[in-house]
Amino acid sequence: MFTLQILANGVVLGCLYACIAVGFSLVWGVLNVINLMHGSFIVLGSYLAWGAYNSLGLSPWVCLLVAAPLFYVAGYLIQRGVLNRVIAAPVLVTLTLTFGLDLILNNAMLLAFKADYRKLLLDPPLGTVAFGSVVVPVDRLIATFLALALTGLLYVILRRSRIGRAIIAVRLDRDAARLMGVNVASTYAAAFGFGAAMAGCAGVLLALIFPISPLSATPYLGKAFVVCVLGGLGSVPGAVLGGLILGLVESFGAFAIGPEHAVTLSFALLILFLIFRPQGLLGKRGFE
Amino acid sequence: MKLPSLFARGCASPLAKLALAATVAATPLAFGSKAIAQDTIRFGAPLPLTGALAPEALKQQQGYNLWAEEVNKAGGIDVGGKKMKVEIVYTDYQSNTPRAVQAAEQLITQEKVHFLFSPFGSGAAKAASTVSERYKVPTIASTASSEQVYDQGYKYLFGTFTPNDTLTTPLTELVVKQAPHVKRVAILARNDLFPLAIAQEMEKSARANNLEVVSFEKYAINTMDHSSALAQIKALKPEWIFATGYINDLVLLRKQMGDQRIEAEVVTMIAGPAYQEFIDAAGAGAENISSAAWWHPAVKYEGVDLFKTAENYVKLFEAKYNVTPDYAQASSSVSGELFRLAIEKAGSLDRDKVRDELANMDVMTFWGPVRFGPTGQINSLEPPVFQIQGGKAVVVYPAEIKQGDLRLGVK
Repeated sequence: MFTLQILANGVVLGCLYACIAVGFSLVWGVLNVINLMHGSFIVLGSYLAWGAYNSLGLSPWVCLLVAAPLFYVAGYLIQRGVLNRVIAAPVLVTLTLTFGLDLILNNAMLLAFKADYRKLLLDPPLGTVAFGSVVVPVDRLIATFLALALTGLLYVILRRSRIGRAIIAVRLDRDAARLMGVNVASTYAAAFGFGAAMAGCAGVLLALIFPISPLSATPYLGKAFVVCVLGGLGSVPGAVLGGLILGLVESFGAFAIGPEHAVTLSFALLILFLIFRPQGLLGKRGFE
Repeated sequence: MKLPSLFARGCASPLAKLALAATVAATPLAFGSKAIAQDTIRFGAPLPLTGALAPEALKQQQGYNLWAEEVNKAGGIDVGGKKMKVEIVYTDYQSNTPRAVQAAEQLITQEKVHFLFSPFGSGAAKAASTVSERYKVPTIASTASSEQVYDQGYKYLFGTFTPNDTLTTPLTELVVKQAPHVKRVAILARNDLFPLAIAQEMEKSARANNLEVVSFEKYAINTMDHSSALAQIKALKPEWIFATGYINDLVLLRKQMGDQRIEAEVVTMIAGPAYQEFIDAAGAGAENISSAAWWHPAVKYEGVDLFKTAENYVKLFEAKYNVTPDYAQASSSVSGELFRLAIEKAGSLDRDKVRDELANMDVMTFWGPVRFGPTGQINSLEPPVFQIQGGKAVVVYPAEIKQGDLRLGVK
């Protein structure tokens, strides 16, 4: 039963990681932009949920509906107004640009919210459910289902909708897509918008689980990075798979060799993947 | 901190703001230290004003600023009959320890400070102490507790925190006395200098009191999930869970303990519950969490210092900053006061004389009785043990100042 508890912890944690990483993976895979603002977007989403609940009494579930369009628009504008100017430049240029933007965003949050750790405390709290002797907290369970649902939704958008097919087309071959009449700039902006919306929604969910502070942005970004490399860039199911693997490795790793080495283990895995399978588990050239 | 507050007050055009900012930034460079060095006493304070340790630095800065303000309000420090104002010169070392050492040296050689406050925490204080020792600058560390900071044979370093075991020993004795059925302790520590040191002291205290340490686990800095470690602890059924880390770690740990339905007779967390921020973020989960710190607003000492009592200190602090001070801020303020008392007794700014006065100091302050041991670390203080009861920190030890009894049971 003890192993089952560790397994359950790992699966739930893995879905949280998938939730953190999926938007990051989309932007990196489609735009070839390593968006270093991703962690700060998540934290901003958490602040949105925290503020909405404490001042307006808005539950995080309602807040999701607000966060998604809000972050989509913000992401769209950032891509259209700033990133698009250097989108054709080597990856290092966009990396530096998002790094600079992240410094601005993160320090603005430090000024606005201070570095104090806060927490979204629901009243009454959601509590836990027990399946036999395996205990799972309800907030993590909901976050897990929503992470899967959002990921699924993104998958459907990418496969079925016009804008989704445009995103895939641009990813496959930018010039050919342009010849077919796809507006590349606005497609890029839409992809970045989706990425930002996913980050914002993840932030809303994570506000229930993790302490909120601008300082949390870096650990979120670190997790997103590892998940993407494990799962494969640009692949939505890959992000889920990568997240699950990372969650399970950390969970069982902490159990087997002690919690102090769990993080080391996940980064060792990252290095192995970079050497032996740099495209990740589900990443492949060509995408869909 | 100057720039944002200037901006907030607001001058009309962005250009004017920029010009003002540039002037403010350039002033210390342009006019330098020497012009004002004659009638002010300069104290250097290298602090991690930006980066991961920024929240801690701001606390220290508040403590120093309040002290400087109060001293200057009273006319300054009496140096052999001449009243001199004090000025604190800050440098930001960006939470980067090697830079803290550079910052300390720069303060001494370029800014020509008379005396120095150590950078934040045991690690950086130890690193920078080599510099102040080399230049023979009396230095007070207001946030360094580890004995390894003071055992280097240095003569110019003093510290206001007692060694870590003075936090864990009274706590253990209290628990053993009040809850004899508590026999099994599980320790979970952040793998970081201070949190690990305090956990190791706890292990020693537990063994010395015939408690069984059923597990001692470390978790890495930036750990985002404690569920595996907690599941293991739950399986061991300890009556006492002792966790160390900083606020973010402990808030997450407390939340995940609830997630895993872990209950224990005693749950101790260091260092977080001393801060209101922890109580707010942990919510109902903070209830009955015990902790220990070097000072608490509830302590009652009649000091000869400027602040006199904790009550008066808290009043002044709240009036200025609108928050209740904790031990970090109080320690910074008392460090300034110890310098003032030593300088006035020496009657001069001679560094060696002030150093000797600090070494021979024996005074009562709002912080508690202050005497420094042979290594320079304070050895006269009895740090209070407290517990969160009804959303407030309540002192449960020592007996002279306690506000309530230790309550058992954390759910």
